[in-house]
Amino acid sequence: MELFGIFFAAFLINNILLIRFIALCSFFGVSTKIDTSIGMSFAVVFVMTISSAISWIIYHFVLTPFHLEFLRTATFILTIASLVQLEELYLKKVIPNLYRAMGIYLPLITTNCAILAVAFLAIDYKFNFMQSMVYSLGVSAGYSLAIILFAYIRDRMVLAKIPKWFQGYPIAFITAALMSLAFLGFTGLFGL
Amino acid sequence: MLIILATLILGILGFVFAALLGLAAQKFHVDEDSKVGTIMAILPGANCGACGSAGCHDFAEKLIKGEVAVSGCTVGGHEVAQKIAHIMGVEGEDIHKKLATVHCGAKDSQRKKKAEYFGVKTCAASNIVDGGGLSCRYGCLGYGDCFCSCPFDAITMKDGLPVVDPEKCTACGKCVSACPRSIIFLRPYAAKVYIACSSHDKGADVRKICPVGCIACKICEKQVPEVFKVEDNLAMMDYSKLDISCDIAIEKCPTKCIMKN
Repeated sequence: MELFGIFFAAFLINNILLIRFIALCSFFGVSTKIDTSIGMSFAVVFVMTISSAISWIIYHFVLTPFHLEFLRTATFILTIASLVQLEELYLKKVIPNLYRAMGIYLPLITTNCAILAVAFLAIDYKFNFMQSMVYSLGVSAGYSLAIILFAYIRDRMVLAKIPKWFQGYPIAFITAALMSLAFLGFTGLFGL
Repeated sequence: MLIILATLILGILGFVFAALLGLAAQKFHVDEDSKVGTIMAILPGANCGACGSAGCHDFAEKLIKGEVAVSGCTVGGHEVAQKIAHIMGVEGEDIHKKLATVHCGAKDSQRKKKAEYFGVKTCAASNIVDGGGLSCRYGCLGYGDCFCSCPFDAITMKDGLPVVDPEKCTACGKCVSACPRSIIFLRPYAAKVYIACSSHDKGADVRKICPVGCIACKICEKQVPEVFKVEDNLAMMDYSKLDISCDIAIEKCPTKCIMKN
């Protein structure tokens, strides 16, 4: 039940894109087409889960024993960057189809702030390993939900009559704000 | 002390990751066919997708698997096809350069109008409004959608009629799909002759609205029966017989709608 709560809190109530406003760059950059947003979502789920697991291990078994918690930013960046590289090499050899499907999004995620944020937040919340895994799954699922919904809305927006001054990013930001308001409605769901 | 420890730990971590990456790069090394690189160097690299593959790299990969023909790159044309054929060792395969051809020869002054058109000045728009006032239901509208679509500046508009530069045309097919009246086709470069009309109207009707339209008189069919054939009130050409001379048919055509370039 506790894990269930963590998952839904991360998935809907504290949605990383629409409530926390982290990783907005990819949210606006990759959501212009539905295909690309789906590709990005898969890559984020994949990388986020694995990187949060590895960073949890490194934080608790390398940094904490030496009282080097302040080094976590540098360490996590190092970890995530090499991890993404490693995953890329591995996928290219073992699952070429998945590699091709993820394409450019895999290396792109190296610099995605959401990945780093999840590694930090899981430590700030003092989660154990299982909890942090469920948390990162919830966050990445929330990311996917928000970006795919947004991509569908932007797809429809192409046909809408938008005043000249609102075309492009302005209307995208307004839409994101309205979506964010809608997601605020999840507050208090399941008593969380 | 703390500084030394911090540097040490971070250094060790960095070293471990680097070693892991180095190992992985060796262990998971994927052999890419060296031919892909060689073919990529020959291909135009425009990633236009005219071949049907998702970019030049995809085309090169498919080529090596034998899924596409060596002449598949329409943009590269004859030259590239021959080079690729040389690499792949399949010389002598049927390779033809193609050329976009406008099957209408009516200049702006020769086109009869049945109404004035004041709408958006594109072929696509005027075609929706009953052909922008043009009497001919088949002919060129003259607003140059093909001219705008050409990525290689091979089309120029002369007297309201697109003129294709055979040297610049790469047969990418962009103009073919841009023309709302579908009067642009790709023909073999070697065929110097084409029919400059697309009208399926009866001869008498064509005469009323166009001085240079095909009136389906069948004179060309009688002169050079191997090449020309009149079907559905329009002369057609068989491009597989390129070696037969069509000069006599060009000369005898009463409306001069068989063109040479």
